[in-house]
Amino acid sequence: MHTIALVGNPNSGKTTLFNALTGSTAYVGNWPGVTVEKKEGLSNGHKILDLPGIYSLSPYSPEEQISRRYILNEQPDLIIDVIDATNLERSLYLSTQLAELGRPLLLALNMEDLLVKDGIAIDTKRLSQMFGTPVVQISATKGTGIAELKEEIEHALSNPQTPPCPLFSSSIERKLTTLIEDDYLHEIPHGRQMRWAAIKLLEGDELFLETMPPIPPELNAYLEKTRSSLEGLYDDDVESIIVDQRYKVAERLARESLIQKEAKEKRFTFDTIATHRIWAIPLFILIMSGVFFLSVGVVGGGTTALLEGFFENLAEWVVATGESWQVHPFLIGILSDGIIAGVGAVLTFVPQLFILFLLLSILEDCGYMARIAFIMDRQMRSMGLSGKSIIPLVIGTGCTVPAIMSTRTIEHQKQRELTIIVTPFIPCGAKMPIFALMLTYFFRNKWYMAPLMYVMGILAVIVTGLLARAIDRHKETNAFILELPRYQIPSPTSVWRQTKDRTLGFIYKAGTIILLASILIYLLSSYSFAFKAVDAEESMLALLGRVIAPVFIPLGFGFWQAAVALLTGIAAKETIVSTLSVVIGTSSLTSFFDPAGALAFMTFILLSSPCVAAMAAMLKELGSKRKFLFAILWQFGFAYLVSLLVRYIVLLII
Amino acid sequence: MRNTMDELAVGQKGSVKAINAPKQLKRRLMDMGFTKGVGVEVVKMAPMGDPMEISVRGYHLCLRKAEARSIELV
Repeated sequence: MHTIALVGNPNSGKTTLFNALTGSTAYVGNWPGVTVEKKEGLSNGHKILDLPGIYSLSPYSPEEQISRRYILNEQPDLIIDVIDATNLERSLYLSTQLAELGRPLLLALNMEDLLVKDGIAIDTKRLSQMFGTPVVQISATKGTGIAELKEEIEHALSNPQTPPCPLFSSSIERKLTTLIEDDYLHEIPHGRQMRWAAIKLLEGDELFLETMPPIPPELNAYLEKTRSSLEGLYDDDVESIIVDQRYKVAERLARESLIQKEAKEKRFTFDTIATHRIWAIPLFILIMSGVFFLSVGVVGGGTTALLEGFFENLAEWVVATGESWQVHPFLIGILSDGIIAGVGAVLTFVPQLFILFLLLSILEDCGYMARIAFIMDRQMRSMGLSGKSIIPLVIGTGCTVPAIMSTRTIEHQKQRELTIIVTPFIPCGAKMPIFALMLTYFFRNKWYMAPLMYVMGILAVIVTGLLARAIDRHKETNAFILELPRYQIPSPTSVWRQTKDRTLGFIYKAGTIILLASILIYLLSSYSFAFKAVDAEESMLALLGRVIAPVFIPLGFGFWQAAVALLTGIAAKETIVSTLSVVIGTSSLTSFFDPAGALAFMTFILLSSPCVAAMAAMLKELGSKRKFLFAILWQFGFAYLVSLLVRYIVLLII
Repeated sequence: MRNTMDELAVGQKGSVKAINAPKQLKRRLMDMGFTKGVGVEVVKMAPMGDPMEISVRGYHLCLRKAEARSIELV
């Protein structure tokens, strides 16, 4: 089996191509850094690898190190360099580095459709001749050119060819030739290119030097001499001279292969408002409110009651039919009060989550995300976060897990960790059903309560950020470099795929974790430790719940049903709804909670630690048990204090 | 007096002369295409006047003023 690696700049369409080649449905979006881990798939019997996007193979950034190490150590049979054809020069800069790694290389010029729109064409034959590797033009979104690409892949695999290396100016080439002839370079690990090694040696690349034996003194003296002579000649350090040389090669390649460029300076009208000095931030707030108003308000308002009624009728029908068929009451109970009550309560929220996921994927696909990072950077920085932190926070309204993963594009470690800690404060789609349920029974005519939950989540982010900034003594600033991708009309296929996957994921959870939890909760709440059918009050569940319930007395929900619901919520937040439906029954919620307690309960769920999947993601991304424990304790403590505060404020007002 | 990129107003253009930044940041900026002699243009400023949107080598990227300050123009 052959291995093919997809390499290219961030947002060049590697994952879209990966999906097109392998028929899988990996997560895509239109901002740089969507893919943070390598993904594997199969195409035509070959293993395809989707690597995180990189701009260079410098030894500094972690993604670049990963990709570089991967290519050097795993020696893929073919590298497909996915190139954003509308961004030819910068893409070819990376290609000049890939060509030196000694693996067969194929250039896939993606976004053919956008080129046509720009009135640009690329002479692929000319580019192929000059660069010395096969070149195929494709549009991964539209699916054009994929057949030709597959043909080229087979061809390249059946007669593998090492691409020629790009040539620099003669003064540098002469030095490289001398280095290649030195005995020392014959000690490079197997499969590495001499020329590549010579360049790394000249640059003094630390990652490369680690893999080599110590440099003999004579060679070191020669290197020192060469470096200072080159530095004198070009008035820059060697590393920068090489970058400059590569860009010169890329410029020449781009210049000679681009044809009929009409100077079409496009000024996007949407962008003038989207990044407007005054209107940008109000527009962002408006868009996000619109997303929630449409999903929760319009769609949720209409469908929830309808589906609730449906599941109630279904349960009644099951009970009636079961009794007439003389089914054992135990089975009827499990089915109607366990499964239908629990799973049904969760499934009720599918339509509104579908709309939420749909709108979020459109936002992610159109290129607006990077602009939000751009317009919000200043504000985010004043809370110790980065402009890029806003992307996880927006994604977090759908699901916290991918949101936490997406923090990887934040370069600065401290800002990244802080973003991971605050992201769970933004209520995810699974928390929405809980709020919706409580709001229906306690704050029916108070429209401002749902937005209030989001506002509270945002305030929690701000307070945590400000505190972290106040404590941080160093207050170091860091680089914030972000490519602003072109706006594009979201591709219906990718939006649909993403929405479908996320919605199905939610339904799948309802059919597995929540189904099991509902059955378990029903059994535990119907039987005592002696396995006798008893009232819920004497059940095993009640006894367990009473152990933790006292903790919540100050918050106004110190009864075992609430404690148990919170406990099961650790598995998945929607389980809180199903558990409450099983142990209390939604219609009797009002006899357990008072409005102050209900709001405190919602606040606690909003701010306390997320579900187990999100916690696992936090642990993984924080990379330290100590930091993870701190994050969890902070979220729990903060949730407890704020809920307490909320309860007393409500009690004071009412 | 040195000319740096952060001093450009929206719509103004310049040409890169040197980058005065620590090794890592310098490489990062050069990787993104800020090499000697390349033309840059300020496209936009964020609502609070920072960061700025720069057009370089036919694409757009955003940089904070602090980083823009390390890019010296002719």
